[in-house]
Amino acid sequence: MTKSADMTLAAFQHADSFFPSAAVSFSWGLEALSNRGLVATRDDLSKFVNAQLIHRWAGFDRPVLVHAHAAAPELAALAELDFLVEAQTLAREQREGSRRMGAALLSVHAKLATPGAEDFLSDVQRGDACGHLAVAQGLVWRQLGFDAELVQLMAAHGMCTGLLGAAVRLAIIGHVDAQLILREMHRSVENVLAQPVCGPDALNSFVPQTEIASMNHETDDMRLFAN
Amino acid sequence: MSKIVTKIQDGSAPRSAARVGIGGPVGSGKTALIERLIPALGACGIESAVVTNDLVTKEDAKRLQSSGLISPDRVMAVEAGACPHTIIREDPTLNIAAADELARKFPQADVIFIESGGDNLASTFSLDLVDYWMFVIDTGAGDDIPRKKGPGIVRSDLLVINKIDLAPHVGANLELMKREAREVRSGRPMVLTNCRDNIGIDDLVGKLRHDVLFVGA
Repeated sequence: MTKSADMTLAAFQHADSFFPSAAVSFSWGLEALSNRGLVATRDDLSKFVNAQLIHRWAGFDRPVLVHAHAAAPELAALAELDFLVEAQTLAREQREGSRRMGAALLSVHAKLATPGAEDFLSDVQRGDACGHLAVAQGLVWRQLGFDAELVQLMAAHGMCTGLLGAAVRLAIIGHVDAQLILREMHRSVENVLAQPVCGPDALNSFVPQTEIASMNHETDDMRLFAN
Repeated sequence: MSKIVTKIQDGSAPRSAARVGIGGPVGSGKTALIERLIPALGACGIESAVVTNDLVTKEDAKRLQSSGLISPDRVMAVEAGACPHTIIREDPTLNIAAADELARKFPQADVIFIESGGDNLASTFSLDLVDYWMFVIDTGAGDDIPRKKGPGIVRSDLLVINKIDLAPHVGANLELMKREAREVRSGRPMVLTNCRDNIGIDDLVGKLRHDVLFVGA
């Protein structure tokens, strides 16, 4: 097998929803918005996913991922990024979701013997780092040899499929619309990746409706998802 | 000799708690079974902790936390994201994280139960998540359940047929259920319970002590 084919198959493996990432338990505010009738149609959902990509992921998770990827495997630098994410993620369920998914990813990679995963997981368990998802992705995917562009594509794809999978389970759309919206998102992802990445001191996001919904979700009676 | 046996016999540490999955359809009595098992195991000096996988609410976790049977902080809830089978089988990472956290917080615990949110007869537990798993069905769901041969019925380490007291009231032939369950399970053990009246619980505790904790093995 060529090195290129080997790397492509490895990327498929780690970006696939078959990979145990814990993503299935999180809706990132969508359940609360759906419960309140604020995301009820295919069009609502398409706008929601696009907004999460452009107004959250592009200015926040993406730069964290890219800087973590560049810093890996320096654990102190990763922890510094980690605490920035912690301090700048307002809604508790969003913060905890990112930590829980990051820890789950590190835990699986520790068992797969991905270099650095076990050490960083130990830091997280000691409280020396938080283990946010974008930081964990940056570390383990760099250690697997994926370049900066590829890890951004993998993370953006994972974000979109996670939200769309939750939407199917919440009966907002069917499986065909999920694929159609995912295809629409490819253009948005491409546009985001064409923009320069901001520095860690300029992390930014603006998704107030999602954040408020996440806060409301903490006390919702109907909770299929963790956030 | 297992680490757990060593601890039970001489109180030494460290060792890790056995992880026991409890699966089965919604309403089959999984939570009620845990409510009976905790004090029965406790009477034998065996300490428990529980991870629940509630489907829509935190009903099962809250029920156990307020039961008075177990310290509330020994019960953790993991959200299933509408996929109860996925988080015990294909992607058990959050359940493993919860069980790991309970094991760290309560190193004296001997058993960590992982209660599935309830699913159909096709659900199974990942062997990376549990050391042993039981599948709970009940007579109220119909006496044809064993011969439907779901993997939970066929492959679980222990099959529990619960609510045996209801059988005559719902037209279920308990003898037929037992016979057909034996046939499809190829000799794997089975226990009959009526949790409301604490029937069969001693038998179940005996199986767990022998097969999971290796007491007297």
